[in-house]
Amino acid sequence: MISCTEFIPAYSELFKYLEARGGPEAVLDFWNYLADNFLGNLHDLVVEHGIRGCWLYWSHTLNEEAADFTMELDEEVGEFTIALHRCPSRAMLNQLQHVEPYHNYCGHCDALYRRVLEPLGYAYHIDLTECHEARCTLTVRRPNSPTEGPT
Amino acid sequence: MTKEVMRRLATDNAYLHKDFHGALSDGLIYLEQRYGGEAVREYLRQFATAFYAPLTQSIRERGLAALQEHIERAYALEGGDIRIAGSEDEMLLEVASCPAVTHMREAGYAVAPLFGETSKTVYETICAGTPFACQWLHYDEATGRAAVRFFRRQP
Repeated sequence: MISCTEFIPAYSELFKYLEARGGPEAVLDFWNYLADNFLGNLHDLVVEHGIRGCWLYWSHTLNEEAADFTMELDEEVGEFTIALHRCPSRAMLNQLQHVEPYHNYCGHCDALYRRVLEPLGYAYHIDLTECHEARCTLTVRRPNSPTEGPT
Repeated sequence: MTKEVMRRLATDNAYLHKDFHGALSDGLIYLEQRYGGEAVREYLRQFATAFYAPLTQSIRERGLAALQEHIERAYALEGGDIRIAGSEDEMLLEVASCPAVTHMREAGYAVAPLFGETSKTVYETICAGTPFACQWLHYDEATGRAAVRFFRRQP
């Protein structure tokens, strides 16, 4: 059994394997597949609870992943944000001495959640400029939110 | 309506996100559908060769005790029910039920037809290049119940 605590390196190596077989398009195709088949819980929570569904989804995952984060929900404004001060996944990959992370590892967080949330009408933005240091910021805005628009 | 804020430090929680088993399982399903079953095994060999290289080295240096410690640690973390018995030259691992398969079944995730390769191919790859090999005595796809024998190769 590959322990769930060893999943992140397995995930990163899967991206490498796919890219070696079919280029970056093969990796993106997998991310799209995963968004469609694995993130049904995020989709269903947002359909049922609106933007609070994001809060419910990430409350579960970020706590189980022992992340260092600040999460904010403003339902009146229609905005949900995560400031990931230390992404446990990326931090784990950065710490590994004997395995190199997939070069666009953090790209999956852009592709997967965007594919779930944008078809539901939400604006999704993730700032990955510091992702190599295991930090990022994710913002979801409800349709017709007063602050909706490019960030 | 007020703004809700959740602030957590890494030390506030234990790192144990069992839904990752479902993501890995979906990855194997994708690989098999797009590239065939051998791609699943090839990927797992590539992963295990790279990631478990320190464990393989440790088995070369310390024998099956290193593998036993690794397996016990992994199953203890996830609440797995296993039994290990043996000697310096041979070790029998019995898994009453796989915590990964159990979680996926309970949570409603699809269990990849080749999910058992995450044990079979991975343990075989870990043992490659060591004096030891492994032989699968039993594997139940429905529960992950398994028995595997690790033994010293004949010279």
